[in-house]
Amino acid sequence: MRKTSFLLSIVLAGAAGSAAAADKVTVQLKWLPQAQFAGYYVAQAKGFYKEADLDVTIKPGGPDIAPAQVLAAKGADLTVDWMPSALAAREAGVPMVNVAQIFNRSGMMLTCKKSSGVATPKDFKGKTLGVWFGGNEYPFLSWMGTLGLKTSGASPDVKVLKQGFNVDPLLQNQAACISTMIYNEYWQVIDAGVKPADLVTFPYEDQNVATLEDGLYAREPDLKDAAYVAKLGRFVKASLKGWEYALKNQDEAVKIVLAADSSGGSTAAVQKRQLENVAKLITTAGTPKMGQLDPAAYQRTVKVLLAGGSDPVIKKDPGAAAWTHAVWDKAMAK
Amino acid sequence: MSGPLLAVTLVAMLAVAVFSVRALAAVDERHLVGRIGTPLLFGVWVLVFWQVLTQAFDVPQVLLPAPSLIGRALVASAGVLLSDFNQTVLHSVLIGLVAGCALGFAVGVLIDRSPFLQRGFLPIAALASTVPLIGIAPIMVMWFGFDWHSKAAVVVVMTFFPMLVNTLAGLAESGHMERDLMRSYGAGYWRTLLSLRIPVALPFVFNALKVNSTLAMIGAIVAEFFGSPTSGLGFRISTEAARLNMGLVWAAILVAALAGSLLYGLLGWVERRATFWHPSIRTSG
Repeated sequence: MRKTSFLLSIVLAGAAGSAAAADKVTVQLKWLPQAQFAGYYVAQAKGFYKEADLDVTIKPGGPDIAPAQVLAAKGADLTVDWMPSALAAREAGVPMVNVAQIFNRSGMMLTCKKSSGVATPKDFKGKTLGVWFGGNEYPFLSWMGTLGLKTSGASPDVKVLKQGFNVDPLLQNQAACISTMIYNEYWQVIDAGVKPADLVTFPYEDQNVATLEDGLYAREPDLKDAAYVAKLGRFVKASLKGWEYALKNQDEAVKIVLAADSSGGSTAAVQKRQLENVAKLITTAGTPKMGQLDPAAYQRTVKVLLAGGSDPVIKKDPGAAAWTHAVWDKAMAK
Repeated sequence: MSGPLLAVTLVAMLAVAVFSVRALAAVDERHLVGRIGTPLLFGVWVLVFWQVLTQAFDVPQVLLPAPSLIGRALVASAGVLLSDFNQTVLHSVLIGLVAGCALGFAVGVLIDRSPFLQRGFLPIAALASTVPLIGIAPIMVMWFGFDWHSKAAVVVVMTFFPMLVNTLAGLAESGHMERDLMRSYGAGYWRTLLSLRIPVALPFVFNALKVNSTLAMIGAIVAEFFGSPTSGLGFRISTEAARLNMGLVWAAILVAALAGSLLYGLLGWVERRATFWHPSIRTSG
């Protein structure tokens, strides 16, 4: 009698547990925990995912983690990635599809020391330029292609350095210019003691070579399942709610982001500055269009990538198959 | 191919493979065919099974590319891989290896001469050798710049200590009888060193050289992950892996493996010539 009632209680507990179990979602971030991903951390901390009946695992990125690879290996349901890397991955056979576009403006910028003799893009020839790889080199290669500068081969027009994820090449004068994000590395250069007056910057937006950056990507075959699309829709809705909250309550968001960073390597001042600059990239915040991929912006990105001269980032236009509004529409429904 | 038919084919292929390798292994070891034929045939069968299994189970190329894809990437990017080989092996590895081993050997001889250095320097060298490669590499890039010089510096740091320790062990190896004999001939320190103690130390030195050749390849390739110009085997592997270009990644890995094996084989050949008198070489002929 005791044994049966014990077994019965276990079975009932299991049933109750599974009935209340939320849908699991794993999202792979593009980099380490920082204000660039404030929306997701805020949504988790403030319980927006829980309200949407989602059990979300946020996987931070890092120097050796390529988001497209993680998505291909089914290590995550969604990944935060940049459009150029996603389209290149599509051409390599990874069926990734854009389901939401969070950042509308590009934060990439080439930062040069005035003392290296660079004043305009015409001065790049013969100089050493630092660029990240791992998927972040595509906008740079496209830009060099449109300028007609060769970056590889026996006698390149510009010498390209594989920059590590720091700003040392500029500080040590090993490169005339380095790749920076306006919300991160540029400020690392300033913090290292270089005066803004000694620097000349080339934001990609101003050079008409901007490409779409942080967006959410999922695997195409998975999107055939309507329940899965609905689940992703709930995730996107909660994440956008997290972003709205983060942009309106930046000090609280900074605290949440710092708590999520287990390395303790960053400070409130650095993250606050980063969030302020990230806010400048989300121009649709507070509008009904927030998070929706603008097809015209997508076309502009594709055009930039195809125009890479003799070495284009992608060889053909992926068309409308590389993005979908289905998840965003589901998120905005009701 | 349907499931049961595939299973039958694979089992049949496995049977043929096992039978053929065993038949070749039974051939007399004295013939060239017997010596290199078996490993060669084994390697060929591994490639065949790799190709068949990746195609039969439709393994995505981003996880494990088929050997045919790797072969095509090798041929298509031969020029790029050759310049990577030049950058990594001919510059970073060879120059770093020669410099690191020469330094280790020289310091070994100095330490042997001076007991003060033995007590003072050896513990510090031991400590320096435990610094992880991933910690040294970015610092070397900061000190020596992005080009092959910083990678050669990393190789020097990695190969210094094994060579030092082996040199010291080798120099202690000569027997009392032989050293007494040199003394009875009136030979001074440096004469004894040149004619007796260094030749006796050679097996140890070659041991260190062979170990260091592997360490040098690893060191040069990993150091390139931390900042490099846009050429080099390490650079190629890391960037093409991030671009999901797995065929080229494996082709670069193949080039690195071949280079490492060639270097090791070359050192082994030189060793057999230089230490022909050593029992281990005499009996294996």
